[in-house]
Amino acid sequence: MKKEALYHKLSEAILNRTAVSLVTFTEAGPDLTGKRILLLPETAYGEKGVSDDLTNATAAFCAPSFLQQHTTSLDFYWQNKRHTIFHEAFPPSPHLIIAGAGHVGEPVAQMGKMLGFSVTVVDDRPSFANKERFSCADEVCCQSFHSYFQNVPLQSFTYILLLTRGHQFDVLSLQQLLSRKDRPAYIGMIGSRRRIAGVFEQLRIDFPKESFTHIHTPVGLDIGAETPAEIAVSIFAEILAVRNKKSGEPLSSHIRELAKKGFRKGTKRCGNTK
Amino acid sequence: MITMIHTFLQIKKPAALATIVSTKGSTPRKKGSKMIITSTGALIGTIGGGCGEGEVIDKALEVIKTGQPVTHKVDLTSGLLYEDGGICGGIMTVFIEPLL
Repeated sequence: MKKEALYHKLSEAILNRTAVSLVTFTEAGPDLTGKRILLLPETAYGEKGVSDDLTNATAAFCAPSFLQQHTTSLDFYWQNKRHTIFHEAFPPSPHLIIAGAGHVGEPVAQMGKMLGFSVTVVDDRPSFANKERFSCADEVCCQSFHSYFQNVPLQSFTYILLLTRGHQFDVLSLQQLLSRKDRPAYIGMIGSRRRIAGVFEQLRIDFPKESFTHIHTPVGLDIGAETPAEIAVSIFAEILAVRNKKSGEPLSSHIRELAKKGFRKGTKRCGNTK
Repeated sequence: MITMIHTFLQIKKPAALATIVSTKGSTPRKKGSKMIITSTGALIGTIGGGCGEGEVIDKALEVIKTGQPVTHKVDLTSGLLYEDGGICGGIMTVFIEPLL
């Protein structure tokens, strides 16, 4: 297969949210260096010049990294020669569902796109849930919250924000979400203390208390956000912290002491990298 | 970025692709970060900026001429402060290949 066709298949897989990875021979002698193999869940495609045997052997060798969708450089021995390969995974882009197409929803949708989420906006009002208001969103669904949450796939990369116009809509949404077998990575719900208390009170009738301890509410980190754009920053700070399994504390709180000593030890990485 | 690479392969305009394939210590961007360098030195994407990137651009222009992929190690540990403010302290391996 030609390199161009390989990239075409790769783009397709990314678009369809299929697990896919690309293997590059980075140090493997003059004939192989730069050649690629595309790995999909059931198949592997070698670039022109890569034999079927080598393609299959590489796929088998990379299987653990493929399963974990782990990007890494590996040493692979083929016909008694060491080949350095780069296994690059393209895990499906995280899916952000915004329930409620109001004023806060707008900057949240924009920022979600900026951060690489595939964004869906849901609302039952046609005058709010439309492509004109949410031109940046990948999908705008004009339907009731309860019917949307009944069927939408919930996966380890699904992030849900309840930004609806009234607490009864949060209750309807959560009733669906909490009765589903699958769990999303994150559920955040906007609201005042009173509103939250009201929602939980109604949920308590059908669900045990533990079932909503993992709901992030009020949504976002404490940065004093007031305007819709500020609220969006606060929300995404929290979502990223959850996704990256970090505390959300200021980076300076960890390294202030080390900085005073001149960063002699203990600073493994730059602050803004994972 | 993948769409961009695909487009470059289709239009057959001379260019090189630089990919970070491994990192050690503190580097500005992680594995898999990519940058396309055209024959005029124009850039699409970034692998972290600063001195490290300058080195890679020079190498990439060579790769476009020779057509041979190379692996290049960028050492960011030599001085704490670069003039342009790059203060990361790691080593990254960058694979640079012609896009054809």
